Amino acid sequence: MNINKSNPLLLHPLNKWMKKKKWSWFPHQIETFHHVRTGSDVVVFAPTGAGKTLTGFINPIDDLIKLKKFKGLHTLYISPLKSLANDIVRNLEKPIKELDLNISFQVRTGDTTPYKKQKQKQKPPNILITTPESLALLNSYENAKEFFHNLKYIIIDEIHTFLDNKRADLLSLNIERLQTFSPNLQRIGLSATLKNKQDAKKWLCRKKPKIISYENSVLPKIKILESKKRIPWSGHMATYSINEIYKEIMKSKLTIIFVNTRAQAEYMFKNLWLINKKKLKIAVHHGSLEKNLRLKVENNLSEGLVDCVVATSSLELGLDYGDVEKIVQVGAPKGINRLLQRVGRSNHNLNTPSKAILVPTNRFEFIEAKAAIEEIKKNNLDKIDLKEGSFDVVAQHIFATACAGQFDINDLYKEIIKAYPYKKLKLNDFKQLINLIQDGGYVLKNYDQFKRIFQLRENKNIYKLVNRRETRKYRMNVGTIIENPMLKIKLGTKTLGNIEEVFIQNLSQGDSFIFAGQVLEFQSMKNNLVQVKRSKSLISKIPSYSGGRMPLSTNLANSVRALLAKSNMWDLYPEQITEWLKRQKNISKIPKKDEYLVEQFPRKKNFYTVIYTFAGWHANQTLGFLLLRGFKEFNYKPLGFVANDYAIVLWSLKEVKEIKTILNLGLLDKHLDNYLEETSIVKRLFRDNAIISCLIERRLPGMEKTGKQVLFSSDLIYTVLKKNEPDHILLKSSYEDAKKNMIDYDRLREILKKIDKKIILKKLTSISPLAVPIILEINSENLSKKETDEYILEDLENEILKEANVLSIN
Amino acid sequence: MYYQLINFGNEEFHAYPDKSLYWKRLNTLIVSDLHIGKSISYAKNKQFLPPYDTKEILNKIFVSLDKIKPSNLIIVGDLLHDVFSTLSLKDQDHKNLIQYRKNTDFIWIKGNHDKNIQIEGFKNFTNYKIDKLLFTHIPIETSLFQICGHYHPKVKISHRGKTIFKTCFIHNEKIFILPSFGILTGGLDIHSKQISDVLGKNNLSIYPVGQDKVYKL
Repeated sequence: MNINKSNPLLLHPLNKWMKKKKWSWFPHQIETFHHVRTGSDVVVFAPTGAGKTLTGFINPIDDLIKLKKFKGLHTLYISPLKSLANDIVRNLEKPIKELDLNISFQVRTGDTTPYKKQKQKQKPPNILITTPESLALLNSYENAKEFFHNLKYIIIDEIHTFLDNKRADLLSLNIERLQTFSPNLQRIGLSATLKNKQDAKKWLCRKKPKIISYENSVLPKIKILESKKRIPWSGHMATYSINEIYKEIMKSKLTIIFVNTRAQAEYMFKNLWLINKKKLKIAVHHGSLEKNLRLKVENNLSEGLVDCVVATSSLELGLDYGDVEKIVQVGAPKGINRLLQRVGRSNHNLNTPSKAILVPTNRFEFIEAKAAIEEIKKNNLDKIDLKEGSFDVVAQHIFATACAGQFDINDLYKEIIKAYPYKKLKLNDFKQLINLIQDGGYVLKNYDQFKRIFQLRENKNIYKLVNRRETRKYRMNVGTIIENPMLKIKLGTKTLGNIEEVFIQNLSQGDSFIFAGQVLEFQSMKNNLVQVKRSKSLISKIPSYSGGRMPLSTNLANSVRALLAKSNMWDLYPEQITEWLKRQKNISKIPKKDEYLVEQFPRKKNFYTVIYTFAGWHANQTLGFLLLRGFKEFNYKPLGFVANDYAIVLWSLKEVKEIKTILNLGLLDKHLDNYLEETSIVKRLFRDNAIISCLIERRLPGMEKTGKQVLFSSDLIYTVLKKNEPDHILLKSSYEDAKKNMIDYDRLREILKKIDKKIILKKLTSISPLAVPIILEINSENLSKKETDEYILEDLENEILKEANVLSIN
Repeated sequence: MYYQLINFGNEEFHAYPDKSLYWKRLNTLIVSDLHIGKSISYAKNKQFLPPYDTKEILNKIFVSLDKIKPSNLIIVGDLLHDVFSTLSLKDQDHKNLIQYRKNTDFIWIKGNHDKNIQIEGFKNFTNYKIDKLLFTHIPIETSLFQICGHYHPKVKISHRGKTIFKTCFIHNEKIFILPSFGILTGGLDIHSKQISDVLGKNNLSIYPVGQDKVYKL
């Protein structure tokens, strides 16, 4: 059928408004209207500026007008961010108000007042705009079924952010719940463009699934900063190019500088201020800043009151800042999707290209930036891998279900396995999760009299909450986002934001550090508040935040390898890069795109082995540890290793002769469990699992637990459980999480499967040019936490003993 | 097993990494704050900690008794977490306890957690004096040297840019505080007000407990 022939949207209630605005309908809007109207679940892929929000609402508004004075909730709109939810309301308001349509709509997020929430429950609007967490909460109320039983549409905005994480798991379970409440429910997904569109469709759609896609033909204009100075060997702070970055800011009306970490943001901001002779208005924005500070920056940005904002991924998603003219990306792009998302923050007009400048902070990043630009030209996006759902989220969902009323476990199981991430959930695992919610799910049956949910005597399949009071505990623990233990920073009575507890522990009174763009002096810590004052100190630390280190995407890694091997391109690069690669070629080798170069050389008193895997930081970190073990077995006396996105370097006392024998799949199978055991990865994930599954409480009303205490008790639980019940479902869950997220298990496996046939071994007399950047990253041995603790104690004691001896001699 | 020699109150003690303290002269083993049954007490509030703490604590103490074969075992308070704790003691645990008491005299000093609880056949005291030493859960006004528990002391160590927390033995000239012998018990920073009020801030001897060794700072 040719939809273009007769555009059914010309009869749509919004058509008048579109005409008034002199806008015309996009093809994907016409297609969406048609397919949803004929009963399809759809995913719509369209770039920013192509009327995505409106696309989602076309069918709901049409229905609501036809139904006339529909009472109750008709359409649910799920947004990944609270701020975005508010923005959607503003966008929806315009046509509905201007056309005076009789449709009610409201927002419901964590920021909505209890009074308003109560009113919404009594008298729901036709359209409710909310977040996954708020939806989960709504589903846990006793009247959830009545509330949702007439629901016709659920719209998932920015669905690409919901495909590969625990939040997605939570959302998928709650969508299935809505479908049970309202079997006629139709699903509409809205997404930025994706490589694997089919996967998004599988995740969301059930009824006559349909992909609708609108590609943008205008490519962004991206170039690499041309610096007069040399790009350094190593480092991540781009200090070399600060003056040139400043010039770029001056050239544009409004610039966003994206960096990869919060520490980089603070550093970049500080350095820009130091050279800010023109008194440009520069602001900083990252996730740890107090909400009000962030909102202020966002407002200034949308009103064009600043010249430049230094930001982390905190500004990646979200509102349209129409006046942003240029994006500067400092540091490695890490992935194509991510770079495109960032670049897309400038010029929200469909027909003008976005403009961006990439600033590599070291030499490998130059190649990476070049590769990223090439891939964007080819529109070769990263794939988002769907993951199997996590167990802890199911546990939380079971608890939520119990809060809503008694339930039949067979019905619940059948509903859960309809959700795409849980298609393969085993009945046995599900039953263990029921037990987990019931009384911790331990083999040792000690808690029979203290259960949280219990089986009805007359029907063993029906479970019921013991006590309504428990619903409050669920509501305190809802959600899948677990922050690291954070402390509030207070300057006088003003809150500046949150800082990681670990960072503060390493400070003494009088130490200064940079936060929110200011130099602050640490004064005291009381009741989770860090009191600071302004400082004029020139020496200051920058808080490092443990989370958020993204590995280089496989897609971009492949492109980097391909580009490195193209020696005919080298002459186009800055001189020092060309030199670097040519010398590498002469002294050692530039690996071809499917080869794995291994270099070995003596240096100082040790023997070095460098392996160029381009596997991303997580996988390389894991591989480094496994190799350490492998080297130990062969008695090479390894001393340590360092990994980055591109390579791993290990150093040992003895020459490593059998690298080809060690570096293969067997290594992974043999040592992985040990690795997970000895590093604190699983332990850390166990804490998240314990909180998400509601085994331990996130916080109690009236008495906020400090992050430390939560961490502490979950560590104890982990240790006790590991010893007494290693098969416990939460341990299993934490291991699965580690494999999925922290160690890039699948990626590493893929590489190791084929690596032994493709190793190019180069025995050198000294360090190669390619190895310099990673060698420079070596600064500390990698020891496990247990070893580190003992090492610190031992060392401290020795120092004190030495001191004591000196004193006694004198 | 490695131990750390500690001089306190003109007596010599051995501090073990299992968090027990041994007084060799009188062949007496001293432990504190076992908090047996803490998990079951939390389960009342639907906070389901692993129910293995009682078993593990008893095993730990039995291992120590087997090895040292002391004439006396002094528990300086909080043997039990609360009235529910006895629920976690199985018949076999009672039998074992009776068995061990044939060779070792159990001296149970009551703490704030277990002051109203009785276990059949167990002698208990509010405090217990031997020579110039007074064993008590929380320190009292006295000219005697005191060995106590209650505070679960933990020390923060910052060294070479890293910070760790470790359970510790700690004393000043007159008061000695034992670490908690329990499994799911937390800790309190030795610089917290509660501990400073008791020990003061100066002339402290601190012994962090490592994996297989007790250190001295």
